[in-house]
Amino acid sequence: MSTAVHLDEITKRFSGVVANDDVDLTVERGTVHALLGENGAGKTTLMNILYGLYEPTEGTVHVDGEPRDFDSPADAIDAGIGMIHQHFMLVDPMTVAENIVLGNEPRKWFGTTVDRERARQEVIDLSNRYGFDVNPDDAIEDVSVGVQQRVEILKALYRGADILILDEPTAVLTPQEVEELFRVFEELTAQGKTIIFISHKLGEAMHAADDITVLRNGKNVGTVKADETSNEELAELMVGREVLLEPKAEPQEPGDEVLAVQHLSAEDNRGIPAVSDVSFDIREGEVFGIAGVDGNGQSQLVEAITGLRTPTEGSISYKGGDITDASRRSRIADGMAYIPEDRHERGLVMDFDLVQNGILGSQHSPTFAADGRINWSDARDHAERIIDEYDVRPPHADADAESFSGGNQQKFIVGREFEREPDLVVATHPTRGVDIGAMEFIHERLLDLRAEGKAVLLISSKLDEVQGLSDRLGVMHDGELMDIVDPRNTTEEEIGLLMAGERPNAAETDAEPPVGDAK
Amino acid sequence: MSTTTIDRLRDTELSYRATLAGGALSVFLLIALLGLAFPSSIWGNFLAILTSRSTLSSALRLSVPITFAALGGIFSEKAGVVNIGLEGLLIISAFTAVITTAVVGPEMTVVGLPAIWIGFFAGILSSVLFSALFAVVCIRFKADQIIAGLAVWLIALGLAPFAATVYYGGVNTDNLGTTLGTWTIPVLSDIPFFGAFFDADPAVYMMLVAVPASWYVLNRTAFGRHVRASGENPKALDTVGVDVSRVRYAGVLLSGFLAGVGGSALSLGLGQFVGNNQTMVNGKGFIAIVAYLFGNYNPIGAFGASFLFAGLEAAQIRLQQVPGYAIPDSLIQTIPYVTVLVVLALVGRTRIPEAAGEHYDTGDDNR
Repeated sequence: MSTAVHLDEITKRFSGVVANDDVDLTVERGTVHALLGENGAGKTTLMNILYGLYEPTEGTVHVDGEPRDFDSPADAIDAGIGMIHQHFMLVDPMTVAENIVLGNEPRKWFGTTVDRERARQEVIDLSNRYGFDVNPDDAIEDVSVGVQQRVEILKALYRGADILILDEPTAVLTPQEVEELFRVFEELTAQGKTIIFISHKLGEAMHAADDITVLRNGKNVGTVKADETSNEELAELMVGREVLLEPKAEPQEPGDEVLAVQHLSAEDNRGIPAVSDVSFDIREGEVFGIAGVDGNGQSQLVEAITGLRTPTEGSISYKGGDITDASRRSRIADGMAYIPEDRHERGLVMDFDLVQNGILGSQHSPTFAADGRINWSDARDHAERIIDEYDVRPPHADADAESFSGGNQQKFIVGREFEREPDLVVATHPTRGVDIGAMEFIHERLLDLRAEGKAVLLISSKLDEVQGLSDRLGVMHDGELMDIVDPRNTTEEEIGLLMAGERPNAAETDAEPPVGDAK
Repeated sequence: MSTTTIDRLRDTELSYRATLAGGALSVFLLIALLGLAFPSSIWGNFLAILTSRSTLSSALRLSVPITFAALGGIFSEKAGVVNIGLEGLLIISAFTAVITTAVVGPEMTVVGLPAIWIGFFAGILSSVLFSALFAVVCIRFKADQIIAGLAVWLIALGLAPFAATVYYGGVNTDNLGTTLGTWTIPVLSDIPFFGAFFDADPAVYMMLVAVPASWYVLNRTAFGRHVRASGENPKALDTVGVDVSRVRYAGVLLSGFLAGVGGSALSLGLGQFVGNNQTMVNGKGFIAIVAYLFGNYNPIGAFGASFLFAGLEAAQIRLQQVPGYAIPDSLIQTIPYVTVLVVLALVGRTRIPEAAGEHYDTGDDNR
């Protein structure tokens, strides 16, 4: 077995901040290598160096045993390296084939015209060789995220890549698509390709990789063989201390109904139906989870419940009263807390400091504005209490929100919302972009609220999160609530099928299940 | 987003299109029917105007500057730079074409090239230079494209009549006493009605070639694909090693070239530059924007829209000559704008390039 990539004592500094500190990494040809670490551990920086996006401050990159000095990704591509970014670099209205050959179009008629037949054929040949299931004539905007990812991989292969780098490839996929991706990994390595993928999920590194390198604070803290390690060992390497991996909710009897959603339908901003006929309720001391691939109506459902969107049909009742038409302000005053999915757009005002951000939503409340004017010293105490209790770093209440990292911004929002002493917490992706340590903390606080008898609506695209925390779990697909299941007695595969829109017992095709069969 | 949603979208778009086309057709059929039934009524007059060869002929001529400017706008905006300075490019090229011809001397011939053609190319050159300036400001210095485009229009609107005043003592130039003339193709030009296509301004032939050629470049060449990618997702283009700025410069310069052809053809077709009020261009650059939006950035569609607007204008001019039905021309002139409001607001089938109007940062600064 030969070495495909060898990174030798790589150090990268950005204006004084050390992103990578003396990192060694060796990847064998024909293997899958996982680069594991928390957010900000320096995984993506390291791979950007290998891909020629950054130049290392110190150290050398060796590819196929030879030292290389990449000035740009074009050099890395020439050396047989391809990178699939977290956000796909695809042109939506163009077809699969057009995207794959973009920039390297085969030509005819003295180079004046794109040879579309040859481009199509080359794409078909390539996808057949690796067992990919893509139709070259589909427009990118019409295909699923999983297919888009395969198109990105084909794009790299079309350019002659031998070494593929994937940045968090599973973040946007359903469990089935993740399985499919790992099958593609096997096919690729069987044909001699080398794969490096970045992840912060232990499970998938264990499952898909041959070797795992763990980065912490920019340092390589260990490279291990996947079949010689355990989840616990990896978690400890990543965080540097022992971690409680599985959130454990003590069984408890739920109380009175807090929120009831009945036959709710809503449209998205373009007037296209996004939520259709959704009904469920949440009781005191209960976590109701909603699982689903992003963009299946969860956002619109949450907006309708929190008062940010007017439903087209149905009703919402809260603590016994109808609030379908109640304003956002009255819902806040009535004890409804909301952790929004987009912290930049809805969670924080980026050029406000944390003192100002800390009272967002409470600017009318008697606590901070008894006489109509805001009491800034109370507001400051409030912000400092959140910073302290939720471990927001650095602890500067006067710093603008945008100067904090995503994980710390999220901790601050979570703190602000939990400190409202709410009766209902609507938490959308509460741990998105935060590292394992903070995730554990947020999970614990959610369970504390549950133990205090609060109701929690939890929406997440992370299946293990909703499954581990919820008492009951609804699965959404294309605006519909497919089913409400008991997360403790349902497998990930069953939930995954519901997320993909297939009801159990329904035929493999898209046939509509008979009415009344959705038990 | 799920596939079913997209299908639903497509279906509604299609039905809108069908309704629109069906509506236009039935209006025309109604006029034809009424016209045939009552030849001496207003409908009879309408029918006579719509089916007359001279209306077709003048519609073709009037559509030349609009179509060329629209083609230019497509290349620029598809590449990601919204060029609302098309009006200014038409003005500057229309003026430069005439003044250059006048300076050379309308009767002169330089190395076998009549002065009027030298003026024609000079007009194009001036528009390309103007668009180059616009491109540098927008791409290199990341100025707001709308404001820079307005500047191009306002500068041209002031500069052309000013230069005419300096040279001629008035905002209008003198008449050159010569025009581009017409190229007549024997036999074919004798065909009734459609013969108008073969007895026309040289610029009309150029237009009839430029429209399919633009479609071909945009849809069948690698350059065209890079232009489209540059306006939709420049980062995708950048990561496969194509220089986004170069593609955008090319798109904007091409829009300058095409608008220049339109502007030169406009003034040299008349033999004079008219600088009163909004100049002889009189909003044609803005109608061009409407035309390519209406045509959903497709050169063929944009030509169809330009021809429709020009046809309405031509019919309106003819209608003025029929005693008794003086429809105010300012009312007719609002039709393109009303149309685009209806198209954009109600039909909503125009797909604006995702990254149009946004600056592209290669991220080289991070290195």
